Amino acid sequence: MAHQTLFDSDEPEAPTNRPAATGRIREWVSRPYARAILILTVVIGFVLLPLAWLILAAMNQTGAPASPIMEEIEKTVFWFTIVSIPMTAFVFAVLVYSLLGWKRISSDDPPMQESPAIRTNRTGTIMWTVVSSVLAFFLVVWGMIELAAITANSYGTIPADQQPGDEQPLIVNVTGQQWVWTFEYPGYDGATTPVLYLEKDRPVYFNVTSKDVIHNFWAVELGVKIDANPGAATQTGVTPTKAGVFNVRCAELCGLHHAYMETTIEVLPKEVFAAAMREMGGGKTS
Amino acid sequence: MSSATVVQQHSVPQPAQHGKPGGMIRHFNVVTAVILGLVLATIFGFLANRLVPSGATGATFAPVLPDVGFLAILIGWVLGFMIGIGAFIGPFRWLMGRDLTHADAEYLAGKDMGVGRYFRYTTDHKVVGIQYLVGFMVIIGLGGLLAMLIRTELGVTWAGVFSPDSYNTLIGTHGIAMIIAMIIAISGPVGNFIVPIMIGARDMAFPRLNALSFWLLAAAVPCLVASMFAGGIRDGWSVYQPLASQSPPGMIGYQITIIVFAISTGIASVNLMTTILRMRAKGMTWARTPVLVYGIFGAALMGLYAFPFYQYSQILALSDRIFGTSFFNPVEGGSVWLYENLFWLLGHPEVYVILLPSIAVCLELIPVFMRKPLFAMGFAIAGVVGVVIMSGLVWAHHMYMTGWAPFANYPFMLSTEMISIPVGFLVLVAIGTLWRGTAWTRLPLMAVYAVIFNKMIGGVTGIYLSDVPADQFFHGSMFVVAHFHYMLMGAGLFGAMAGIAFYFPKMTGHILDERMGSIGLWTAFAGFQLTFGSMFVAGLQGQPRRVLQFDNLFNISNWLSTIGAYTIGIGMLIFLAAIIFSWRNGKVASGNPWASKSLEWQTPTPVPLENFTVLPVVTERPYDYGVPDPYATAQKTSSDKAGVQ
Ligand SMILES: [Cu+2]
Ligand SMILES: [Cu+2]
Repeated sequence: MAHQTLFDSDEPEAPTNRPAATGRIREWVSRPYARAILILTVVIGFVLLPLAWLILAAMNQTGAPASPIMEEIEKTVFWFTIVSIPMTAFVFAVLVYSLLGWKRISSDDPPMQESPAIRTNRTGTIMWTVVSSVLAFFLVVWGMIELAAITANSYGTIPADQQPGDEQPLIVNVTGQQWVWTFEYPGYDGATTPVLYLEKDRPVYFNVTSKDVIHNFWAVELGVKIDANPGAATQTGVTPTKAGVFNVRCAELCGLHHAYMETTIEVLPKEVFAAAMREMGGGKTS
Repeated sequence: MSSATVVQQHSVPQPAQHGKPGGMIRHFNVVTAVILGLVLATIFGFLANRLVPSGATGATFAPVLPDVGFLAILIGWVLGFMIGIGAFIGPFRWLMGRDLTHADAEYLAGKDMGVGRYFRYTTDHKVVGIQYLVGFMVIIGLGGLLAMLIRTELGVTWAGVFSPDSYNTLIGTHGIAMIIAMIIAISGPVGNFIVPIMIGARDMAFPRLNALSFWLLAAAVPCLVASMFAGGIRDGWSVYQPLASQSPPGMIGYQITIIVFAISTGIASVNLMTTILRMRAKGMTWARTPVLVYGIFGAALMGLYAFPFYQYSQILALSDRIFGTSFFNPVEGGSVWLYENLFWLLGHPEVYVILLPSIAVCLELIPVFMRKPLFAMGFAIAGVVGVVIMSGLVWAHHMYMTGWAPFANYPFMLSTEMISIPVGFLVLVAIGTLWRGTAWTRLPLMAVYAVIFNKMIGGVTGIYLSDVPADQFFHGSMFVVAHFHYMLMGAGLFGAMAGIAFYFPKMTGHILDERMGSIGLWTAFAGFQLTFGSMFVAGLQGQPRRVLQFDNLFNISNWLSTIGAYTIGIGMLIFLAAIIFSWRNGKVASGNPWASKSLEWQTPTPVPLENFTVLPVVTERPYDYGVPDPYATAQKTSSDKAGVQ
C-alpha cells in the first residue's frame, strides 16, 4: 500500500481524472439512495417540527411564561429544538433507509453477500465534524448570551441595594424547612407569609436559605430556580410580568414530605399587593 | 485439556509442593462464604452491642446503637464472605512462603471442574464473565422490580400504595441498584469473557484479582438489600448531605456498598487496562485493535479516576455519621457543596462508564451484520478518547442550580456542550457503517437500531439540560429523569441487550432465541418510549422528580408512564425467558455463528481453558469485510487499487 497511516483508510489516491467538486456532488445526488435519504430527512424533519411548539404548549399549561426569564428559557428551548431537528432527522432517515432502502437479509445463516467496503469518506466525515462543531458552537454561544441575559434579569450577581431600575426592588427572604416554605418581606416590617406575594412588574430579589436540608426553590411559571442550602444564602431574582396564581415547588428531594412542599405565588397589581401586605401586618410601603 | 497447558507445565518453574495438593482452597465456595459471612456478621453485631459504650440500659440486642451495630454487622458480613469464598488464601499462602503451586492455580482456574466452578473463587476469565452476566441480571431484576413498584405508586397516587418513607426507599434503592447494574452490564460479562479472547490472550493479566473484583461485588450487593431492612435508603441514589445524615441506619448499607463496590471497580479497571495494554496478541497494533477494546479501556480508565471521589464522599459521610466529624455538616463548618462536588465527580463520568461500552459493543457488531468494515475507525477512537478526557470536566452541570458558583456555570456549560462533538463521532461511525450495507437483521443488529434511536432522543434532550437557562426550568424535574433513562437505559441497557445477544453463542454455546428475544426487545422498546416519552411531558408540565403525590395536571402523563413501565417489565421478562430458555435448550451454536472475522470467534465453543492452543498472530486490520465499492471503482483510473482486501 502506498501510504499507510495509523488508521489507514484504504482510500485510493485521488485519481487524476477526479471530477470537480460540483460534479461530484451532482454525481452523489444522482445516486438512487442519496435522493431518497435527503427526501426522507426532510419528511422526518417536518414531522418532528411541531414538537418545537408542542413542547412550549406543555410548558405553558399553567400560565407560563410569567416573566422575562421564563420567556428567555422558552426561546432557548424553542430554538434548540429547531436546530437539533435536521441532524436528528438525518440520523433517523439513515436508520429507516438502511432497513427499507438498502438490502435486507433475515436468514438464519450468515449472508453470503458482502457489502461495499467503505472504510471512510473524507467529504462525509468532514461535513459531519463541521456541522456538529458548528451546532455545538451555536449552543455554547447562545447559552452564554442567554445566561448573561437571565443573570442580569435575575440580578443574581448584583447586591440587593445596587439593583437597576428606578423602582425599589421587593426583597423576599425565602426559607425552606422540612416541608414548608416561608416568605419574609423585610421591606414590610418583616411580614411573613406561607404564600408568595409578588407585585406585578416590580423586580423581586430573593435571598434563599434553608433551616435543615437542601431544598430547591422553584417558582415554576416564573422560571426561577435556586437551591435553598443550609448554612448558606443564595440569591436570585425576577420581574413578574403577568398577574395570576402560580406554583412554587420544591425541586430537591428533602425527605418524607418532599412531594407536599409546594405553595402558590400570587402576582398582584400594585394596589392589591400593598393591601395584601397591610393585611399580613406589613404596613410600611417602601 | 489444551496442549498449551502442557507447554506451560514445562516452561514455568513451580514452587515446591508442601504436602499433598489441595489445602483450604478446595473447601471454599459460595456456601462457606455465606455461612462465614453470616457468622461474622452476627459476632461483630453482638460485639458492637456489647463493647461500644452507650447511655442506654445495656440490654443485649436492644437497638441502643443502631448505627454502630449495623455498621459492625455489614463489616462482619463483607469480611466473613470474603474469607469464606477464599479470597485471602493466595495472600496468606504467599505470606507463609508457600505460594500456589501449578496444581493449585489450575484448580483455581476451574480446570475440569464442571458447574461448580461458577460458585467458587474461580480465576478463569470466562467463568468470571459468566458470573458477572448472572450478577448483572440479578441486580437489574432487583432494580426493575423496584421500578415497577415506583410506577405503581405513581400510577394510582390516590390509593397511596406506599408510605412516603417506603416510596423514598424505593427510588433510592432503585437508583443505586440500576447504576451498579449498568456499570457492570458490559464491562463485566463482555469485558471479562470476550475481551481477553478478542485480543488473543490466555486470560486476564491478574486472574486472581479478577475473581476478587467479582466476589467483592457479590459481597457488596447484599449490603444494599440489607439496608432495605434497616430503614432503607430514603434520599435518592445521590444521597445528598445533610439529608442523608437524617436517614435511618439503612444509609450505612448504602455507604458500605459503595465503598466495597468502588474497590471492586478499581481492581477490575486496573485488571482490564493492564490486560489490554500488555497482553494483546503479537501483531495486534493499536490500529488493529477492535473498537470494543477501546470502549472497555475508556470505561475502565474513567472508572479508575471517577470512583475514588465517590468512595471518599461515602467514607467521609460515614465518618460524619459514626464519629461525629463534620465534613458535610453545615452547622459545624462542613459544606454540602463539597459533597455535591465529590458525588458528581463520579456522577458524570459514570454516565460514560455506562454508555461507552454500550456504544462500543454496538460499533463492534454492526460490521459483522452489515458485512462491511467499520466506517472511519479513527473517528471512533477519537470519539472514545474525547469522551474519556472530557467526561471528567463536566461534572458541575449537575450543580447549575445549587448557587454554589454561578460563574462556574459558564465553563461547565462550555465543556458539557463540547462533549457532544466526540459523542457525535460515535454516532457518525455507527450510521456510516450502516450506510449502504445489506443488513442481516438478526436480534443483535436490531437492538443497535433501538440504541441509536434512543441515543438520539437522549442526546437532543440533553442539550436542553446542558444549557443553564433551560436547566433553570428542567433541573430537578421529571424531564431530567426521562432524559437520563433514555441515556442509561435506552442506550445503555438496550446496548447491553445487543451485546448479550451477540456474544451469547460464544458465552453459552447456544444461539439466543431470535423470535422470543425479538418479541421481548421490541415490547420493552415500545413500553420504553411510552414510559419516558410521557415522563418528558410530565417534566415539561413542571412535575418535580422524586415525588409521590402531585397535581391532577400530571395524572395523564403518569398513567401513561405506568402503563409503559409495565410493558417494559413484560418485555424484559420475555427477554429474560429467552435467555434462560436458550441457555438451557437453545439451538447449539457453532464456533462462529455470525461469520465474524474477529479473533474471539475463531476459537471453538465452548472456549477451552486458556483459550488458544497456540497464541494467535494478528496480521490484518479488524473488520475486513466487504467487496470493492462499485461507485468508487467506477471513478478510478487504476481499478487494481480499489478495495485491496
Ligand atoms: Cu423537597
Ligand atoms: Cu452529567
